[in-house]
Amino acid sequence: MSATVLERLERLPRRNLTVLALRGISTLVPGGWQNQTSPDELISDVLGSDDPELVQQVRERADVLSRARHEGYRRALSLYDAVNRSQKAAGGLRVLANVAGALPLVKRLAALTPASQTLQAVDLSLKVAAEMLAFTQVNGLPGDSFAAFGDSLREYSGEARVRMAALVCFDALLPLGDNALHRLDGLLGQVGSRELHQLPSYAGMASLLPGRGDAAHLSFVRRGVDQWIGWADGFAADLGLSGQRAVRALETTIGPWHGGMEQLATFLDAFTDTYSHTGVQAVARRLVERAAAEI
Amino acid sequence: MSRSLRWGIGLLLVAGLLLGAFLVLPFRSWLPGGTVANIATKEVVNGTLFNRLFPKPQAGEQLVFTQEKRGFSQARLKQGAEVRALLSISDVASAPASRNKFIHTEERLQSWPLVDQGSQASALLVADRFQVKVIGQGSGLDVQQRHELLGAFDLQALAALSPAAAQAPAIPSGREALPPGKGSPLRLPFPGLKRPAPQAQPAQVRAAQPANRPSFFPNRANAALEPAA
Repeated sequence: MSATVLERLERLPRRNLTVLALRGISTLVPGGWQNQTSPDELISDVLGSDDPELVQQVRERADVLSRARHEGYRRALSLYDAVNRSQKAAGGLRVLANVAGALPLVKRLAALTPASQTLQAVDLSLKVAAEMLAFTQVNGLPGDSFAAFGDSLREYSGEARVRMAALVCFDALLPLGDNALHRLDGLLGQVGSRELHQLPSYAGMASLLPGRGDAAHLSFVRRGVDQWIGWADGFAADLGLSGQRAVRALETTIGPWHGGMEQLATFLDAFTDTYSHTGVQAVARRLVERAAAEI
Repeated sequence: MSRSLRWGIGLLLVAGLLLGAFLVLPFRSWLPGGTVANIATKEVVNGTLFNRLFPKPQAGEQLVFTQEKRGFSQARLKQGAEVRALLSISDVASAPASRNKFIHTEERLQSWPLVDQGSQASALLVADRFQVKVIGQGSGLDVQQRHELLGAFDLQALAALSPAAAQAPAIPSGREALPPGKGSPLRLPFPGLKRPAPQAQPAQVRAAQPANRPSFFPNRANAALEPAA
């Protein structure tokens, strides 16, 4: 049996490139970010008490909840994992292409790797779609009206501000430029099922996306992204996010960077897993909030 | 390799594949472990029904629903950007152990047993079936404020949601418990055998349920049309 959500939380790294990148980007977000990797601390934070007996009860309940397949907590994590694997694979290919591009004999290989902006746009929108699917898996459909559901979504993304800032910076602003959010819809318009199938995360998500066939999935993804862009645009404007600022924020923790922004994005794709790292933390918090209410 | 051996291995492979398919593919949701504590989702009251029983936010406060699952609904009480409390209603059918803490308590709120857990949480057990809980967040709430919040839930309507209130048999205590009528192994129409008279109770329960549980969409549509109170 695979690990429960809290076990996954416990196994998250305390200090590596992912944590440093997130710490760097969190300097742009008011309120900052704490790398919460201890289930017991999380539980006593939610419960407002560190009575070991209560903490133990919450923990046991959380494990029961995350083992139940219908509850969707672990399904959300497997979504994040699928996206993460795909990001790493694509990033790795592009790093290889960059290296290969410098060697005379294998230069022609570099031309084969898919580093196009369209693909990057698909990658971003699949991440956004995964985010929405994970939201419904973890939280259900809260509230009795669409307005209440919208409030709930905003609350969720507000809670995960650093996560969203990382998504906007690493997957939109750095690889696609500062006007990425405005170009995204145009870029998605050029996407066909061929591009979709080039991303391994699509294969992992296809069964969870509503609708049948690539075209239906693509239209769901585009509608989801439309909604998200509306929110993300305001978010980026509020915090004044831009590619330049993101690079400077990252330089405070991971050291000076001399390459272009696109290379930085490739590097981050290949060597960090910010998306699943913050994802596990977000799911764990919601799970603990429920377990604390049910003990 | 002899011909019969090849056939044997082939058949074994086919049988193995069929068995694997049966265990893994479309029947997964039938296997145990799918639901919390292996209690059928039908036996747990849907969280959608809890939403309208939450306290109405006062001026300057906002109630944001955060989770809604079968047998559970949770909202945050916010004042501006600060989260003051987590409010939740859960069905204890899937967490029978959570009832135990109410056994020894003398405290009552609107006649339901009340318990304080740690310094920031208070819980109320309504109709021996639903747990209502307030957990203070951020700067925290004192006991008095938490109890006031608990009292602000629509506890009467919540008690009415309990199947016991609809004159149904008590909650089955384990997964082995089957609804009455389904437990009898064979009902063959042997002429010599006299059938027991059909029990009236289960039929009543089944008839009572639809009235008790409005369907998903009308409920949502009504709520969307009603002005927010």
